[in-house]
Parts: sequence; structure tokens; C-alpha cells
Amino acid sequence: MKNKAKYYFQINTSSGVPIYRQIIDQVKTHIATGRIKPDTFLLSVRQVAGELEINPMTVSKAYSTLEKEGVLGYVRGQGMKVKMKSHARADLKKRERELIPLLREVKVKASQLSLQPKKVIDLLKALWEE
Amino acid sequence: MADFAIEMKNVSKELGRKKVLRDLSLAIPKGSVFGLLGKNGAGKTTLIKCALGLVRIQAGGITVLGDDPGNLHEDTKQKLGYVPQSDRIYPWLSVKQIINYTASFYSHWNDQLVHSLLNDWDLDSNDKVGLLSEGQAQMLMIILALGHEPQLLIFDEPVASLDPAARRQFLKTILKIVSDRECTVFFSTHITSDLERVADRVALLKDDKIDFCGELDVLKDEVKRLRIVAPVDISEELNISGLIFCERSHHEAIISVRGFKPEMKIAIEKQLKAEIEVEDLNLEEIFLELNR
Repeated sequence: MKNKAKYYFQINTSSGVPIYRQIIDQVKTHIATGRIKPDTFLLSVRQVAGELEINPMTVSKAYSTLEKEGVLGYVRGQGMKVKMKSHARADLKKRERELIPLLREVKVKASQLSLQPKKVIDLLKALWEE
Repeated sequence: MADFAIEMKNVSKELGRKKVLRDLSLAIPKGSVFGLLGKNGAGKTTLIKCALGLVRIQAGGITVLGDDPGNLHEDTKQKLGYVPQSDRIYPWLSVKQIINYTASFYSHWNDQLVHSLLNDWDLDSNDKVGLLSEGQAQMLMIILALGHEPQLLIFDEPVASLDPAARRQFLKTILKIVSDRECTVFFSTHITSDLERVADRVALLKDDKIDFCGELDVLKDEVKRLRIVAPVDISEELNISGLIFCERSHHEAIISVRGFKPEMKIAIEKQLKAEIEVEDLNLEEIFLELNR
């Protein structure tokens, strides 16, 4: 039972995005960034549900969707294992696309505050170096 | 039949001259945590009472755990747990006494569970029931309904008088129960944030009918708010299926729709040459939109 992924999902229950989709997205992101390595076991449905205080069905729905997509594979008696290799650099476009909606929000807010793009980029850089 | 904990078919119920439920059908799958939403006075309590056979229906049919609620078998009653909206029974008894009294009605009683819940919720078993606060009394009623480990739990506004900490405790307890054993939980509420955490299915009761019934995730996928900015005047020509509400000026519109699909966004963008932003709505916002 080694190689259990130790990480936390950050779930926002009052977001408009269904909770199971938040979990799916975060598993994929963690894999993409290499935080979860291939062949690692995810925490069990019960553990995740208990930790996040959400319905176990929600977690198992996320896991089984990921299984269908070939991201995870079920190993009898041991749980869900990460099958997918972490995104190679070739997937850069895809990763970029994921960030676009968030950046769009930033753009809207920045123009409301009449902040120039250059200023926004500076702020972002500063955050990065924190 | 066996797949549903509660099944209501074409149920009608009048209270006096008022139709509360009209030709209403609702099926609650076994093992689900099912939330019933509706405004005050929508008929949530009446629906629950019908399902339990506490009031007679004028038309239609209901089964509870495969049994007729008007004439429940002893066995079925042992499998049911129900907490009404407000009920303070026997104020002269102590917490301990009312627990023993309740336990005596059931062939199975999990004393250990009851005591750990009393402990979790800071209830003193020597306190008199009549002296408990509204919230404490509600907690006690919930505990009493859990003691015999029922297969079907029905709560009418279970968290209405609980403080946020107690509400969390309640949700935790429910989640623990449904992950430990096969149990269906059906509860009414208007506190949507609680529902969002635990429920996998919801039904919305509106104008004596079920307006939506299904998975919470599906509801969230299907009800969206769209912000449309078009180069042309769009104050006249918005023909969108599933439109719930629309607010617009010349070039901009904010609309809410049900039955949303990603293709819809593309179609409208093409039709109006517009830019559209799709906004996800949480359950509270959906509730407000659907009740417009």
C-alpha cells in the first residue's frame, strides 16, 4: 500500500461547477503537473469523501469517469491507480487552454479597474516570485 | 419497485380547497441522498406526510420500501426513521428517558451510536427535554430517528434551527451513515448550501408539481446564465429554447436558460454574431432562477 498519493483536493461546494467535475479536473491537473506520478494509488473513495465531507457517490462518480477516460485503472483490493503518463511538453497547448478562462476573468476585472496589461503582467510576475 | 425507496405516481392532494400536489410523480432511488427543494409553502411537508401515510391522498399511488404507506407493515415501520419539522414530545422526560422510551419500540437499537451522537452534539442525557433549546431539541429528534439504524431516513427541514456547526455535524453524520451501510436519505430543505455538499439527487417542488428531478450535477450542467454582447440590437430578437429569464438592453443581454448544452452557445454566437460568456450557477442561484 505504498505510493499512496498524499494531496488534497480543494473543493468549493457552492461553486457552479459540479463537485465531481472539480475532482476530475484536479486529478488531471495534478497528473499534468507531475504532482501525482503514474502508478500511484489515489486515496479511497471513502477517505476522500470523509476528508472533504461530501457524498461518497460524488467521489466514486469522479473516479469512474476518470477510469472510463483511461486516466485511472482499478486494481482489485488496492484501489484506483494512475495509468496515464504525465503530460509531456507536447501537451503545452492543452495546458494553456485550461488557463484561458481564468485569464479571461482577470482581463475583465483588470479593465474594470482600468489596469493596463503590462501592469497586470508585472503583478503576476511578482506573485510568482513570492 | 425494488429499486426505489419511495415511489409516488400521479399523486394529488388537496388541503381544504387548495390543491397542494397535483398529479405529482416522484421516485427516490435506493441508496441516494435526495434533497427536496421548494419555497416556503410549496408543499414539501405535505409531500413528505403523504409519503409516510400521515395524511391521505385524493388520487394516485405511493409505495414506501415497497409497502403501502396507508397501511404499513410492522416490518416496514422498523426500517423507517422520520424527523418532522418541529416536534417537541414529552417535555417532562429527560433525554435519557426519551431515548429508552423510543428504543423500546424497536427490535434493533444501536445504543453505542446514540451515545456517541449525544457526545458529538454536546447533549446531556440528564437534561429535561422541555428545557432544551429549539436547536438541541432538533438534534435530539434526529438522534432518536437514527437509533434503530433505519434503511430509509426522512427529514423535514432537519437543519432549520441548527447553528452552522451543528449543521456540519449533522451532514457529517449523514455522510457517515450512507458510506457505512445501505441507507436512503430523503430530506426537505431551503438551505441549499447544505444540500450541495451531501445530496446526489434533488427535486424542485414548484406550483404543486415537480419542476426538476434528477442528479444535482445534471442540474448544474443544464441551468446556466449567459452574458451576450452582440454587435447588433438584440432587444427584440432572442428566440432561445429553455429561456427562464432575460434582462437586456440594446446590445447586451443576460439570460438564464435550462437545458443548456455547449452547442447552444455556439449556435447563438453564430446567429447573433455575438460574444457569449457562460456562467456556472450554484444551487442557490439555480433555485432562485427556477423560482422566478
